[in-house]
Amino acid sequence: MNLRIEATGGVTYVEPVGRLDFDAAPGFQEAVERVLSSAGKSSTAVIIDGTGLEYVSSAGLRAFLLAARSAQRSGIAFALCALQPAVREVFELSGFNRIIPVHADRASALAQAQQGRT
Amino acid sequence: VTLPTVVTPVRRCADAVRAKVRGLAQLLLEGRGTYARAFENLILTLVIFSIASIGVESIPGLPQWATRALRVAEILVVAIFTFEYLLRIVAARNKIAFIFSYQGMVDLLAIAPFYLLGLDARWLRALRLLRLLRVLKLQTHFLETVVEERTRELAEKNAALEKAQAQLKAELEVARSLQLAILPAAFPARSGCEAAARMIPATTMGGDFYDYIELPDGEIGLVIADVSGHGVPAAFFMAVARTNLRELAVHHTDPGQCLAQTNDALCAQNPLDLFVTVFYCVLDPKSGVLRYANGGHNPPYIRRAAGAVESLSGAGGLVLGAMPGARYPTHTVQLLRGDRLVLYTDGVTEAFNPAEELYGAHRLVDEVHVHGGGTPAALVERICQSVTNFAGSAPQSDDITLTVLTWGAP
Repeated sequence: MNLRIEATGGVTYVEPVGRLDFDAAPGFQEAVERVLSSAGKSSTAVIIDGTGLEYVSSAGLRAFLLAARSAQRSGIAFALCALQPAVREVFELSGFNRIIPVHADRASALAQAQQGRT
Repeated sequence: VTLPTVVTPVRRCADAVRAKVRGLAQLLLEGRGTYARAFENLILTLVIFSIASIGVESIPGLPQWATRALRVAEILVVAIFTFEYLLRIVAARNKIAFIFSYQGMVDLLAIAPFYLLGLDARWLRALRLLRLLRVLKLQTHFLETVVEERTRELAEKNAALEKAQAQLKAELEVARSLQLAILPAAFPARSGCEAAARMIPATTMGGDFYDYIELPDGEIGLVIADVSGHGVPAAFFMAVARTNLRELAVHHTDPGQCLAQTNDALCAQNPLDLFVTVFYCVLDPKSGVLRYANGGHNPPYIRRAAGAVESLSGAGGLVLGAMPGARYPTHTVQLLRGDRLVLYTDGVTEAFNPAEELYGAHRLVDEVHVHGGGTPAALVERICQSVTNFAGSAPQSDDITLTVLTWGAP
């Protein structure tokens, strides 16, 4: 899996492309941790853009859970957006959409993150 | 006294002495100990010294005492080189081969001029420069020693790695047998109920399990669960989850409450942040009432006696172990005579084929719809076959687990 990372106006977007399974999860987790630790200086929100995310296994869910926790610890808003239907279903089924905000697109994720800050 | 009886002990004694000398020679020349190293350093020093002395000798107007000292030194050096040369012959397994080898010739050339021409031959000095070759030879020798040592270290490291890997593999085997041993062998005997189950562990070993729990009042608890991740941690967490659920189920007959309690217990003992998806239901075998709660698991299917397949998709809760305090609503469904309940893990629906396509829920529903009329064991077998046929040569990355229950079978 590949990661596209893009930081604009205090928000870092992370776009994982491919399958987030048992093999890809550690790399993804590490990358998000790095983004979170460097985001502390410039960004107030990290948004995962799921446009290119084809599949998430339970190990992938765990990576999201750990990332959300670590974002919470560092006081950074953490959200998901633009999930493909199959991935969205995994989040709903596992109940993860109740602990990590899932939005339709970047704009609404950003609006929510900024609202949460004020 | 005949001749052989005298000769034999003498020969034996000579053999023993020869063996001893050769052993010592080998120790000094080929060993890796302090003596061998010291001897090697001594020879190298002498070679360098003798080459330097050639230069010093050629200085015009050298005092008499210096010339004399250098001559004495030269005799000593040649004596030691000769000793070394003989020692090498003694140590060599094939003496002729050694004498005519490059190394043997160089050793000989370093001392031969002295014996052939004496100390005073004027062109001896030039021949003595041949000792330079010895420096090169020693250098090669050093290199070889270093390479040999590195090779040995590498071999040792490889062996250690192999051992560690074997140990890891053995541990995985233990975890796998733990995982399999935990699964119940048989469904509790109740009239009108029949169940079958199967788990096909993944190559990397996941953490699926299913369980039947005998509850007070003759009810039966049915569990199917899938721990996130693979390997030993997953197997461990699975064992912890299963034990907790089993214990709590007896005290909390409401499935939602049971899952909430189990979740809190798991959150309190979860150093690796693993989690488990659990579908838990309680069947009253007398009435066919099924109460269930879902902790992030794939919703099971009910195949009605007439063949229609329904999903038990009542709202669920969060996976267990992720966050304390999570709530799980309990739903109720009435089973009718001849209905089948099909519980499964995502190893079934998310099996990939070599073209990277998912098996998918639709294939499972088709199988259940078309072939669900027989015994539970037959349906379990049928679905497993279908999934493995679909996956073909693609590696199985997740456990495949299935449980089928019939109620009120005639």
